[in-house]
Order: sequence, then structure tokens, then C-alpha cells
Amino acid sequence: MSAASSQSAANTRVNLEHSTVLLIDDNPKSLDMLSSIFHGFGVKEQIKCESAAEAAEIVKRRAVDLILVDCSMPEMDGYDFTRWLRRETPAPTRHTPVIMLTGHAAQSSIQKSRDCGASFVVAKPLTPTVLLRRILWLGGDEREFVECETYVGPDRRVRNFGPPLGEPGRRAGDLSTHVGEPAEANMDQSDIDMLMKPMRVAL
Amino acid sequence: MTQVRTTKIKSSLAKQLERPGGRTIADAQRLAEAGLQSHKADIMADLGRLIGQLEDLCAAAAPEGRERVYVLAAALVDLAGFFDTGPLYSAGYSLCDLSDRMRAPAPWNWPAVEVHVKALRLIHTGGCKAGAESDILLAGLRSVLGAFTAAA
Repeated sequence: MSAASSQSAANTRVNLEHSTVLLIDDNPKSLDMLSSIFHGFGVKEQIKCESAAEAAEIVKRRAVDLILVDCSMPEMDGYDFTRWLRRETPAPTRHTPVIMLTGHAAQSSIQKSRDCGASFVVAKPLTPTVLLRRILWLGGDEREFVECETYVGPDRRVRNFGPPLGEPGRRAGDLSTHVGEPAEANMDQSDIDMLMKPMRVAL
Repeated sequence: MTQVRTTKIKSSLAKQLERPGGRTIADAQRLAEAGLQSHKADIMADLGRLIGQLEDLCAAAAPEGRERVYVLAAALVDLAGFFDTGPLYSAGYSLCDLSDRMRAPAPWNWPAVEVHVKALRLIHTGGCKAGAESDILLAGLRSVLGAFTAAA
């Protein structure tokens, strides 16, 4: 990135003044640090919960714009909370963006992490810059929300490449696997070159 | 075939972010970093206490302390991960890996835990600075973890 474009990115404005953020972590000191970060981002309304069960009661009662949850907590962990949010709450609550924070990922939780339906998993070490970048990315998130028996949450494929070659797709937007016979002769290389790099021709 | 439903959603967060006003990204980052740094001294003291609890577990070497090693190491990584604690974070992460792998059915190895805890104490006492000394310590921890993985 050039100096000019990085300067212009830094001058871009972010407005989180009217957003409500729900912070969930069983460690009160982590909660305080997250709160300081969001205060710096300009978030005025923050709800801090030391357990996922307490957070579940809050989202049943009121809407929030963003949820930050620590993955490992006693009893209901961040994965279980997100899974519950995605499956058991009505829209639009179930669509709330969720950022999952992870320190160490235990082997037993890797599958849960993939399938819980978090919008983003942010691994520590955490910096405010990385966190803000993820929030801005979520603001422009164009992924579809997927609901099926085994998964509920944002499309885990950030870019939709469609189903594997030769496999039938499961979504309405997936292209057919049937390519068919060519309608006309293949282009030769010079035609392709001309398409890629048009040149002035002297006649 | 599983029934799949897809919906295009525009979250309230996206709508909020489109509103004019707010602060520049540079200001937001600077203010957030300043707020975070105000906790650093307190957290460094907490990290020292966590290492002390790990030292107590190693001294006792009791079977009932095994699960607690992972809990304390994960808590250390969680807190250390808010700051640039470089080698301390890496050593803590290595202890998490080790204690996670040593959960049943693999045999528990207290000396492997102890060498991690000693490294954590050295790095913490030295102010969590990265350098040739911490590189040697971390290389040693990697070989302990590697040897254990190969043996398990």
C-alpha cells in the first residue's frame, strides 16, 4: 500500500457511536480491557457479561449490534453460546455478527469452532488495529446467511467458488455441473492476447 | 439431501457503520491502544501470579493438579494475548499445547511441564523481551514439545 493510500485509509471515519456491543468473557480483567478498546473505537453502549448464560438472557430481551465472545468459558463456552444464538433465537437476533476470540485452541474444540456459526474467529495476540479491521470487514460482509441441519451462520466460504468439480451444488445459486459441448471453435492464442492486451494496429 | 436455506442479510452493524460522523480510524486505533495500555502493569502482575500458581502445581506434582495446568496456561495465554508479550505468549502457548496433548490417554510428564514453567518465569522476570536468550529458551521448549509428541 502506498503512503498516500494508507494515509487516506487512516483518515476514513468509523462511526460506532450509536452501536451496542455485548462483551462476554469469564475473566473480568479481559472484559475491562475489551471495554477500553471499544471505548477507544467510540462505542458508548457496552454490555459486559461474565458468563454466556447471563449474555443469553440479555439477547433474549434486547437487540445488540455486535457480540464479542471468548471461546473458552466454564459451563456454556463461546462456541455453545454462538450455536445457541444461531439456532435458538429468532431473526434478526440470530443474524447478529459474532466475533469469537481465541487464545489457545484445544484439540477437542477445533470442530466446534468451525461449526458454531461465528462471523469471525480472531486469534490472540489481539491488537486494536486487527480488531477494528475485522469490525470494518463485517460492516461490508456480503456473505449469505446459511441455515441447514448441520450449520447455521454466515457462509464459511469467504469467496464462493461453487461446489467441487463434478459434484451437484446444494444451493440455488450454484452453477450446473453440466458444461455441454462447445458452441464454437476455440480462440487461438493471438485472439486471447488481443483481449488481454489491446494494441494499436497500424493499417 | 440436506435442505439448505440462504438469506442475504444486512446487519444493524453494517447500517451503523454507514452513518456519517464518528472518528477517524487513526484516532480510533490510537485511543483504543491508549486505553488498553492503561491495564498493562496490572496484567503483568497477574501473569506473575499465574506463573506462581503453576510453580506450586509443579512442586506438588499431584495427579489432581494436571487438569489445572491447562486451565492456568490457557488463562495466561488469554491475558498475555492482549499485549506484545512475544516470548511469554509463545512459551504459554507451548505449555497449553503440551498439557492439552498430555490429557488421557497419553502419559503425564511433570518435568516437561516444569521446564515450561521455569522458562515462563525467566521470560516474565526479564520483562518479556524477545532476543537471543528467549530464542534459545523457546527452541528448547519446541524440542520438549516435539519429543513428547513423537513419544505420544
